[in-house]
Amino acid sequence: MTARNQSLIELDGIRKSFGGNEVLKGISLNVAKGEAVCIIGPSGSGKSTILRCINGLIPIDEGFVRVGKHRVHEIRHERGMRPLRRQVAMVFQQYNLFPHRTALENVMMAPVQVLKHDPGEVRERAIALMAKVRLAGKESSYPGELSGGQQQRVAIARALAMQPEIILFDEVTAALDPETVKDVLTTIRELVEEGMTCLLVTHEMRFAREVADRVCFTDHGLIVESAPPAALFDTPQDPRTREFLSQVL
Amino acid sequence: MFGLDYSWLGDPVYQRWLVDGVWVTLQLALVSSLAAVAIGLVGALGQTLRLWWLDACIELFVEIFRNTPPLLQMLFFYFTLTQIGFTVTDPVTGLQHPLLSAFVSAAISLSLFGGALCIEAFRSGLDAVPKATLEAARSLGYTRLGLFRRVQAPIAARVCLPSLTNILTNLFKTTSQASVITVPELMYAAGQVYSDTFRTLEMMLMVLLVYVTLVSLLAWALTLAERLLAYPGYGKGF
Ligand SMILES: Nc1ncnc2c1ncn2[C@@H]1O[C@H](COP(=O)(O)OP(=O)(O)OP(=O)(O)O)[C@@H](O)[C@H]1O
Ligand SMILES: [Mg+2]
Repeated sequence: MTARNQSLIELDGIRKSFGGNEVLKGISLNVAKGEAVCIIGPSGSGKSTILRCINGLIPIDEGFVRVGKHRVHEIRHERGMRPLRRQVAMVFQQYNLFPHRTALENVMMAPVQVLKHDPGEVRERAIALMAKVRLAGKESSYPGELSGGQQQRVAIARALAMQPEIILFDEVTAALDPETVKDVLTTIRELVEEGMTCLLVTHEMRFAREVADRVCFTDHGLIVESAPPAALFDTPQDPRTREFLSQVL
Repeated sequence: MFGLDYSWLGDPVYQRWLVDGVWVTLQLALVSSLAAVAIGLVGALGQTLRLWWLDACIELFVEIFRNTPPLLQMLFFYFTLTQIGFTVTDPVTGLQHPLLSAFVSAAISLSLFGGALCIEAFRSGLDAVPKATLEAARSLGYTRLGLFRRVQAPIAARVCLPSLTNILTNLFKTTSQASVITVPELMYAAGQVYSDTFRTLEMMLMVLLVYVTLVSLLAWALTLAERLLAYPGYGKGF
């Protein structure tokens, strides 16, 4: 039995240091299938690091990480990460598209090159996804020719093309200007409504309140408080949460 | 015109010397350019393995061959090796010959010199690919090799093409130093001709023109490649 409980993502007592700097000091978190969980918290509190531990981009020092049937902390090689990476997609703050490939190629690359899916079939899927993120007609544009918001939606389409069960969003609107934030959030909201399991690091409190099933507040490498959005935003229990919210709301 | 006398150019012997010289120059440039790029690739790839002893070897190689004059390297391979006993004996005449011919000595030293520069250029190209882009590739399931082939190398290649153009055009010009160790390339042939005709100025002007033409062609081809590979928003892309 690999799973200790029914949730799709299970983190238990994760610790992670960079050099002498302990960034995660025992993070425990469960995310059920179809759930949307937002992580909020001050800069440097370890939010991105939590996401990176979930898809194995960085190894943890201590603790237990499970995604579906994969025990992430026990995988030693990049090759062994493949099935996990297929199941968990990630979208980054700086989009991180491949600049030498067109938007459509960015979406198609990994399914064809990594998953070895049939290019013709992937192409259809990619074109449909471009339409889904409202970028029909931009297929042959290069990332350098797209606005930030458009690039971010390509990145979301690229993640979706892997047909993942889970998507990790790391402050995906932080680098965008206010108008384009709306387009990207609309796209994410649709995914959540379709039942995609999402873990979102975000500074958009209104958005978190709207879409999240649960909101976690992190500070100094710990999840200080975790509750449904109405409870966390309206009646925060911990003084640190209250202070943070008073600054950002 | 301007008192320049090019009548000697009509002499088929001189024509032969010069044409052969250009041909040897082209061969020397081609061989050492290809070898330099190959050395650069192997060296830069070797450094991505992150083995300290391999890194140290590559570093030493780069320091030695980048920081010494190619002319000195040619003299070393041609004369010094011979003096310390690296010779072959001709079975027919019984005469001692240098182990490496002048052409081979020149080709080796130019390859090593260019190779050292290429390692540096390719390494900085690979380093220029943002960590975040590589992380995105990893998050999509690319393994180290796939990531290198599909993402890092294509981006790095575009980053280092301008420096590669510099290195290869310089290498082309440096082939002229092989005349010192009697490789019958263009510069050497030119010397032969003007020591016969005493038309030094005319000869030099002509050699200059030939080099300008050949190196410009090379640079133009590489710049064209740069343009073709460019993607919008970066470098020569718009
Ligand atoms: N690769 C790394 N090497 C060294 N230190 C790191 C590394 N990644 C993160 N850190 C450190 O870990 C801490 C937490 O970083 P993290 O990126 O998780 O914060 P964050 O909560 O996402 O912040 P932000 O809201 O600014 O994105 C920071 O102090 C950062 O300096
Ligand atoms: Mg972050």
